[in-house]
Amino acid sequence: MISVSKLTKFHGSHRILNGVSLTVNKGEVTALVGPSGGGKSTLLRCINGLETFQSGEVDVLGHKITGGQPNDPQVLQKLRQSVGMVFQQFHLFPHMTVLDNVMSGPRHALGKSRAEAEPLARKLLERVGLKDKADSKPANLSGGQQQRVAIARTLAVQPLAILFDEPTSALDPAMAKEVLAVMRDLAAEGQTMIVVTHDMDFAEQATFVHLMKAGEIAQSGTPAEVLKDHQ
Amino acid sequence: MKTIFLFVLFFSTSMISPAQDRKTLRWGGDKNGGAPFIFEDENGKLIGFEVEFADYLARELGREPRFVQNQWDNLPELLKRPNQGRDDDVDIVLNGYEFSKERHEETPTTVPYFIYTFRLIGRTDDDSIKSWAGLETAEPRKRVGVLRGTASEKYLESRYGDKIEIVRSETVTEMLGLVAEGRDVDATVQDSPAAAYYIQPDRFPKLRIVDEPVGTGYYVILTRPEDAELREQLNNAIRKAIRTGYLRDLYRKYGLWSAAQQRLAYLAEQRWPDVADELGDEELKDRPQTSIRFSAILGNLLRAARMTILLAVVSFPLAILLGMLMAIGRVYGPWPIRVLTIIYVEVLRGTPLLLQLFVIFYLLPQLGTLAGSETLTNWLSITPFSAAVLGLALNYSANEAENYRAGLQAVPRGQLEAALALGMSRPTAIRRIVMPQAIRIVIPPVTNDFIALFKDTAVCSSILVVELTGLYYQYKTYPGIVVELAAAVGLLYLLMSYPLSILAARLERSLSMTKEGGRA
Repeated sequence: MISVSKLTKFHGSHRILNGVSLTVNKGEVTALVGPSGGGKSTLLRCINGLETFQSGEVDVLGHKITGGQPNDPQVLQKLRQSVGMVFQQFHLFPHMTVLDNVMSGPRHALGKSRAEAEPLARKLLERVGLKDKADSKPANLSGGQQQRVAIARTLAVQPLAILFDEPTSALDPAMAKEVLAVMRDLAAEGQTMIVVTHDMDFAEQATFVHLMKAGEIAQSGTPAEVLKDHQ
Repeated sequence: MKTIFLFVLFFSTSMISPAQDRKTLRWGGDKNGGAPFIFEDENGKLIGFEVEFADYLARELGREPRFVQNQWDNLPELLKRPNQGRDDDVDIVLNGYEFSKERHEETPTTVPYFIYTFRLIGRTDDDSIKSWAGLETAEPRKRVGVLRGTASEKYLESRYGDKIEIVRSETVTEMLGLVAEGRDVDATVQDSPAAAYYIQPDRFPKLRIVDEPVGTGYYVILTRPEDAELREQLNNAIRKAIRTGYLRDLYRKYGLWSAAQQRLAYLAEQRWPDVADELGDEELKDRPQTSIRFSAILGNLLRAARMTILLAVVSFPLAILLGMLMAIGRVYGPWPIRVLTIIYVEVLRGTPLLLQLFVIFYLLPQLGTLAGSETLTNWLSITPFSAAVLGLALNYSANEAENYRAGLQAVPRGQLEAALALGMSRPTAIRRIVMPQAIRIVIPPVTNDFIALFKDTAVCSSILVVELTGLYYQYKTYPGIVVELAAAVGLLYLLMSYPLSILAARLERSLSMTKEGGRA
């Protein structure tokens, strides 16, 4: 469903990704692990076009981004509607209520009306355990609650896959637990996910694990194969 | 020893009694009032019949003439300041000031040096204005221009105040130009010297003098109350100028001489200013009142305050809209757009509002004339109100562009990325996610600008818009109400701007991104 081939990215003369190739199938949970600066987050950001790259290709269900050339904004938009993203720093929209945050994708990306978007948004808030926070502003939520809202916001667009960029790194362990519980739920329901994480407990439950070092995938395999060596 | 003594003497005299003061005759006037009074020739040399007359008077008094420039309606104020012998202190005011009893009480006057009348000036191709009487019955009401604060303004107000619309401007040539172009003004009333000088085929061929002169008045020199000796010297010099024929020759040179001036010889020999009563001069008695009750102008002040509000509330939203577009172009546009927005902002921010208003109102129509297209000229000849709104909106849009640029740049980059990652298009993400946050961030500076614009509307009186500050200048030439007037105008501004501050503070609170209960 998602295939990355020979992706290379430079930042100036510094090579951040060096010919990375990766395939993710429907229903799989893929964990990207490895030391900081290895290129995990950059790879994730390349997959949904937030970063440009110099060569290689990303293909999501036929929506293609090609390196080294400007890409059609409409293709990028379609691709991003198929691949959602959850950020380390949540990036909730501070001027909107929690409910409006969750509805922002359906309304402003998919063009649905408020009435069309609201039932799903409320259902998703219930699913992440924040039904009663619908009218709050993000600033009044804890970090763990904010990240769960961010997950609901991403789910509201009903993407085929979700990219998680270190979703628990900014949270203390208790809050991280809430967020990981939601993510496990999603995985159990067959949601396709690529997760950049330092949380080995979560990585152990992934379908595949890729270890990234110095801009390359150093090792790939099942959690048992990769994590044994890594630890 | 002797040298030192002289040295000390020299310095002590120059410090105690202003020796300078005895040698120069500093006379105040406004060269922007124009020909034939005081103006500059093509070499920038000061000329005009009052310039030559001042030279003559100084010569007669054994002094050196020195011209002090000031805005016309502020000239008498200069005489109310103590004379400390500085270069900008004036000894006398000599610039077409008419005699009135109230004026004489505040700044005692000399005997008259010129007898003037009011002339009605219209367009040669406009037959709808044939006489003074015709002004009263014209439908729709005629718009008649005068110089702000002059006797002709007061004359029109008292005689025709409710039958015509009075339009005010600062300079004769601007006003004549507007009448000649048929723009917003149908006719103008000017003192006879200006009419005689400008209504000539080689100066304003499209204008003509309509009907007979009215309202005889007397130009006098204004002095300080304590300068009785100086006044007597001036009176003697004026009498001599009349007796010897100097004034007649001077006025002939400028085309101002008429039989009416012969009465100067009689008037100048009478006791001044008692002659005004003794003469039983019907016209002099019939002079329009030059004082006014404060209560009578309150309605006008309130109407002008309404105009001030209207200017502000129409132009500021336009400024915000333009500013936002410029800011978006500056932050998110490709480089040619970025360069254009930088030029736009720097040009409009780096030039004064007054200049921009003049260009829009007075110079823009001339583009059409240059192009030889009458349609274009008409199209570019926008009304004073439109020009004022446009000028304010353009000028402030540059400030708002900078405010919103700062606001856009203050929104964390992650906000745009999160919106894009949800699949929004870039324009939608900017409009729905980034801009609303930028707007909230810059509410305080934008509010400041709104209050600043509010006060800047005062400048619009220079392009015929009747607003509060313009009205203040108009009425402050009436003796006796200056303090009440300044207090009332100040209070009105405060009454208008303070609620704005409160409203802005409330807006800021209700749009807050951190507090509960704010709305998206």
